[in-house]
Amino acid sequence: MLIEQYATYIGEGNIEEIKAVAEPLKGLKVLHVNSTRLGGGVSEILYRLIPLMRDLGIDAEWQVIKGDEEFFKVTKKIHNLLHMPGHDRLTSEDIITYMRTTYENLSYIDTSPYDIVFIHDPQPMGLIVNKRQGQKWIWRCHIDISTPDEETWKFVEMFVNAYDAIVFHIAEFAKEGVKIPKFIIAPSIDPFHDKNVELDRNFITSTLEKFGIDPKRPIVLQVSRFDRLKDPFGVLQAFKMVKRACDCQLVLAGGYASDDPEGEEVYNEVMEEASKMKDVFVLNLPPDSHYEINALQRAATVVVQKSIREGFGLVVTEAMWKEKPVVGGNVGGIRRQIVNGFTGYLVNSIEGTAYRIRQLLINSEMAKVMGRNAKERVRHTFLITRQLKDYLVLINYLINSDHIQR
Amino acid sequence: MGEFRFKSEVWTSEYTGIKANTIHAFLKALRHVHEDVIYYHLYRNIFEFHYLPLDYANSFAYWMAENGYYVLAEKLSVIDPLQYTSLEDIRHDIIRILEDSGEDLDVLCSKPFYFIRAVRMAVDLNIVAKDLESFVNGLKKIGWHSLFYHLVTARLKLGKPINDFSRWFESIGEVELAREIEKVNLWAHTLREVKGQLISIVERKLYAH
Repeated sequence: MLIEQYATYIGEGNIEEIKAVAEPLKGLKVLHVNSTRLGGGVSEILYRLIPLMRDLGIDAEWQVIKGDEEFFKVTKKIHNLLHMPGHDRLTSEDIITYMRTTYENLSYIDTSPYDIVFIHDPQPMGLIVNKRQGQKWIWRCHIDISTPDEETWKFVEMFVNAYDAIVFHIAEFAKEGVKIPKFIIAPSIDPFHDKNVELDRNFITSTLEKFGIDPKRPIVLQVSRFDRLKDPFGVLQAFKMVKRACDCQLVLAGGYASDDPEGEEVYNEVMEEASKMKDVFVLNLPPDSHYEINALQRAATVVVQKSIREGFGLVVTEAMWKEKPVVGGNVGGIRRQIVNGFTGYLVNSIEGTAYRIRQLLINSEMAKVMGRNAKERVRHTFLITRQLKDYLVLINYLINSDHIQR
Repeated sequence: MGEFRFKSEVWTSEYTGIKANTIHAFLKALRHVHEDVIYYHLYRNIFEFHYLPLDYANSFAYWMAENGYYVLAEKLSVIDPLQYTSLEDIRHDIIRILEDSGEDLDVLCSKPFYFIRAVRMAVDLNIVAKDLESFVNGLKKIGWHSLFYHLVTARLKLGKPINDFSRWFESIGEVELAREIEKVNLWAHTLREVKGQLISIVERKLYAH
């Protein structure tokens, strides 16, 4: 069985527990719907979660909504406005576009045969209009909607209230006053993903050499797309401070989409700033550079995620899984991932970032112990098997709260 | 000789929608929240963090410290859930500590507290032990949740200040073994390590037989 492969990491006993939780759900029809099959954390998890659910006897399927550029512009706007109020606002035309595409999707995606429907993020949430009696619909919200633009929220709320439950990453992301049950389930990583599999030492070294990085000197790494909210400029400043005391290199690895003008602007600014400094490597990598990112994370001495705002930094979990101490911004989900002083450090400033990087570079034994603790924390709390177990408990809970006719 | 059935209890988390911005609001909520909220914030933290030498022992204490109430954080940290057999007794003791604190309970806290409930689900693993040998074989087949259930949560379920394994060992006359198991320190080791320790304790006894 596919699920049994995970015994390598969490032990046979935990696999047996998952099977026991799934036992009452055998034959249940479960549908996951999101907006893309490739790219992003949601599809990455679904790619593995669906086969795992099927392996446990659950009739799980995954469907993707269709939409044109105009539709996705509107959903991007909804996404941003749910995240925080901005200068933009949702117009009547936007609502018409959203509803028209939603109704078009109703003809492609038949939700009626399913007992449980998971809808991921705002793009497909309008499909709820097809909810039939006895079904349980769950809205998996991957963003922080605690302080949304109120007008946008009013529009979205009409759909939300028809769901049976919402799932957030952390309680702080929940919108106050939502009446339906709110569950808290943290995202996870898959140890079998190309980004996380064990790598040959020679591949790691050759990857570093390919980018001109010295494998013999300490490496400070931040992996993130080129975005001001990831504060690459703060990392550069912190590195300047560290460099005065420690011989080390900084790698900023990430990318930006071809249709993301702001990403390109940030990348160019970072490149300009980095060109004035020694030992800084700015790598603009294609989105499928999983093995390269994996190699960089494994080669790093200290990993940094100095985000100013963050949902749940999966790169933090990935680095922790590779036994790296992580210095992370004291924001959002990072506060739940890093145990301050035990698996890494939570920081609130550029100076704090520099101080903790330096501390970890100087105390290599301490960094090693923290790295080991970090791996254990991920094994216990942030692997896909834990998320699967959470979903299974949630489904059990919902179907028992109001028996589904099967 | 009675048999031992290995069970487990898994959970997920539900945000109650109750958020406290003052100790007064926290206290008010604490008086009436479902007892699985107490379970979540005290017991689940042992499950998640039991192997971490953290500054404070549970999320109530952490919240107090985050908002500058260091004495209260220490007083709440010393509450050891393993010494309790009832969630209501824990609730009562926390309320008493807060009421007697002498702090101004209406000062606005910079960080709110979010009350979360553990949605618990018990499962039977269909593993049965009839003697030491089948017990140790069973122990090897169970996961962290099962271990936690028998070592920690069972105390609440049965209202007895002893873990399930030790209780069974006592019932079959293995009093010394029961004592050894009870001595394993859950705060000092990961559940993976605890499992290894339990297996070696029982195997030692088994081979001595």
